[in-house]
Amino acid sequence: MIRVEDLSVRYGAATALDGVSLSVAPGEKVALIGANGAGKSTLLNALSGMVPTAAGTIRLDGRLAHVPEGRQLFADLTVDDNLRLGAFRVRERNPAWIYEFLPELGRLRGQKAGSLSGGQQQMVAIGRGLMAQPDILAIDEMSLGLAPIIVQQLAERLSELNAQRGLTLLLVEQSARVALSLCDRAYVLETGRIVTQGSAAQLTDSPFVVAAYLGSPVQGAL
Amino acid sequence: MSFDSRSATIAAFAGAAFAAAALLDESALSAYVLLTLTASVTVGVSLLMGHAGQVSLGHGAFYACGAYAAGLLATHGSPTWLGLLAAPLASAAVATIVGVPLLLLRGHHLAFATLAFQLIFSSLISELSITGGDVGLQGIPRLSVAGIALTSVRSYAYLSCTTLLLIVVIAQNILSSRPGRALRALSSSEVAAASSGVAVGHYKLAMFALSAGFAGLAGGVYAYYMGYLSPGSFPVMLSIEYIVMAAVGGLGKVSGAVAGSAVVFLLVHGLSRIATLSGMPSTAPIILSYAVYAVLLVSAVLFLPSGLLGLATTIAARVRGRAASTVRKAQETAAPAGDGRDGTATAERVASKHGSVS
Amino acid sequence: MSAFLSYLIHGISLGCGFALIASGIIIIYRVTRVVNLAQGMFAVVAGFSAASLLDAGLPHVLAESLAIGTSLAVGVFTGYVAVGRRGTSSQASLIVTLGIGIFGYAVELLTWGDQPRSFAGLAGSFELLGVDVPKQDLLVTPLTLLVFVALELFFERTYPGKAMTACASNPYAAALQGIGVRRMSFCGFGLGGALGGVAGVLLTPLHPVSYDSDVSLFVNGFAAAILAGLKRPVLALAGGLLLGVAESMVAGYSKASYQSSLALLLTLAILIVQATRRETLHALEES
Repeated sequence: MIRVEDLSVRYGAATALDGVSLSVAPGEKVALIGANGAGKSTLLNALSGMVPTAAGTIRLDGRLAHVPEGRQLFADLTVDDNLRLGAFRVRERNPAWIYEFLPELGRLRGQKAGSLSGGQQQMVAIGRGLMAQPDILAIDEMSLGLAPIIVQQLAERLSELNAQRGLTLLLVEQSARVALSLCDRAYVLETGRIVTQGSAAQLTDSPFVVAAYLGSPVQGAL
Repeated sequence: MSFDSRSATIAAFAGAAFAAAALLDESALSAYVLLTLTASVTVGVSLLMGHAGQVSLGHGAFYACGAYAAGLLATHGSPTWLGLLAAPLASAAVATIVGVPLLLLRGHHLAFATLAFQLIFSSLISELSITGGDVGLQGIPRLSVAGIALTSVRSYAYLSCTTLLLIVVIAQNILSSRPGRALRALSSSEVAAASSGVAVGHYKLAMFALSAGFAGLAGGVYAYYMGYLSPGSFPVMLSIEYIVMAAVGGLGKVSGAVAGSAVVFLLVHGLSRIATLSGMPSTAPIILSYAVYAVLLVSAVLFLPSGLLGLATTIAARVRGRAASTVRKAQETAAPAGDGRDGTATAERVASKHGSVS
Repeated sequence: MSAFLSYLIHGISLGCGFALIASGIIIIYRVTRVVNLAQGMFAVVAGFSAASLLDAGLPHVLAESLAIGTSLAVGVFTGYVAVGRRGTSSQASLIVTLGIGIFGYAVELLTWGDQPRSFAGLAGSFELLGVDVPKQDLLVTPLTLLVFVALELFFERTYPGKAMTACASNPYAAALQGIGVRRMSFCGFGLGGALGGVAGVLLTPLHPVSYDSDVSLFVNGFAAAILAGLKRPVLALAGGLLLGVAESMVAGYSKASYQSSLALLLTLAILIVQATRRETLHALEES
């Protein structure tokens, strides 16, 4: 579904990604773990075409929806409008199925997106991404600033989507805990390079990962 | 540029400027006076735009302020040298007073505010009887310094040349001093400058007042040179001319301001000459000058953000670089690739091309 | 009393014109984050064009529509030059719009000369409460209201309008959804051009327009836009009317030359107060 080979991205003189290769098969749940500044967001931006690449190839079989870091909602527009705008590229603009799938959003549909809580905003952001009817959903730092229980709920919903509709998931996370509990496989990215990869089980046991990422920074609101 | 080469450049420039004042014939001298006075104001505008990031659409008002200050004092019996001294002080004082509230604004709000200031100032001098209203001030006596009256155009050419040099030297010295380095930090990032202890607000105000002072001094000389002043001598278009010259030459560099002024001034005046040839409609000179200013401004801003000076530096570097390139290539392959971490913190946020202005 | 009424009515028409200019500035600013210094020029070009087309014999509504079309095109051109190139900073774009406004001077002088021009709008006048109200004044206000209602509906009720708002609110997220930010910017400038054109076409019968009218139009329009907080066009209507009526009163009862200074001082005062409030908020947040 996604095949990235030897990808490099540069911002001026700085190299954000250096020869990154990864692949995601249809229906998989894959995580990309890395600390702040490792290049995770850059990778997603490259996948969604937001930044130009310096070298390497990206192959996408199907539509990818990129849910950006920090939700990035249209704060002055309502939840409903935010969802509808997610469908800009497709014909079907009715968010009814999103409200079915995420009933909490149904209650909030008329509210301005900027007035919602972090968890609610993340739900809207995911909903907006889903409106594009993607084959792959790539979410950047879903858990950032959210209480663990909210993250868990979101993770459960995403699992449902993956199981029921075969939605391929690419989760980018600082928190390896969340990423590894939800996903089957993971890559670890450090300063623009993939340093290790493996199944969730393998990485959870790896002392390197445990030391660097599982004792990981404070989750939840600062 | 090292201190020695900089002072050598200034000395060379001074020599050339004085030589021009001495050698040019009378018909070219009046253009020379206007050019040097314009360049004097442009230095201040360029530094403001380049270092403090302030687009001033109203610097013509400070030029006018200095001119009127000198003119008013001289027509009311003051010794003329006092008027010349008062000119920059008056402008700087007005700038300081106006700057305190105005500099709370940023970006386009500040640009608008400076425009508003010039319009209000123009309105004032057109209305007040003390400034002669629409008619203006007449009969400003010739400048006399230590008993010597300046009567010929050439004497004013020497004076305006000296004014420009004085401003260039002051500006250059300020830039290379400690406050100057703080200013340059300001130009790259206000936030960074503030967090390293630079009193951002004070420097902005000081820069604003200083550039106004430069304009005021030039205005004072203008008043004595012309012998009369009217509100029509200081239209909004004048402020825009300064901006064009600063942008074309290269923002933030004193030499850029002078180079830009020379290039734009000569280009516009040359074209105006062609436009006044018989057969052309009477509005041709104005049309051409507007068109030239517009094209130069847009081209400079879009294609030459570092101005002509930047272009010259790039060309010089490339010429020098060709010689040294083999050496550099060898060095590069030995060193490891750059650490991605430095760039990525900011790189991760994709810059929207419409960055916020404030 | 009749003097007061005639100043009031005149002020309302004037204010409508300012509001239209303001709405153009606001829309362009929201979508591109650039303040369009050439906005006044759009109105002037439309005014001149309408005058020429009417002189050439074209019937009324057609001439004005073509004139508005012209300013729309000029708007798109301005947008293309100001923000079309990737990586143009906001400050650079601001200066580019200034440059284009000046280029406008050259074109206007070349095409129409340096004399003020006007054209007859709705002929005749109407008696209202003992005052002779020019019919053109009565045309300006309802048309302006119509335009504002249309704008409000466009932005609040239509999908393209919401997409434009999204671009204004978060260009990165908008781009992620596939909304062409560049295309939206050009549309924004085109819409700004058209709105400037409407202002020009409505105001020129009341005030002859000349190549340097754009400065006062821009200054007043921007003042009204500031009063609206540069956010919703509808608020600019209130701001514009306030300015128009205030200026008309000042011109009528005291000196005409002070009227623009009033707008300027008012706008500056508001800008500075807003800035001071922001500074105090920052200081409070930091402590």
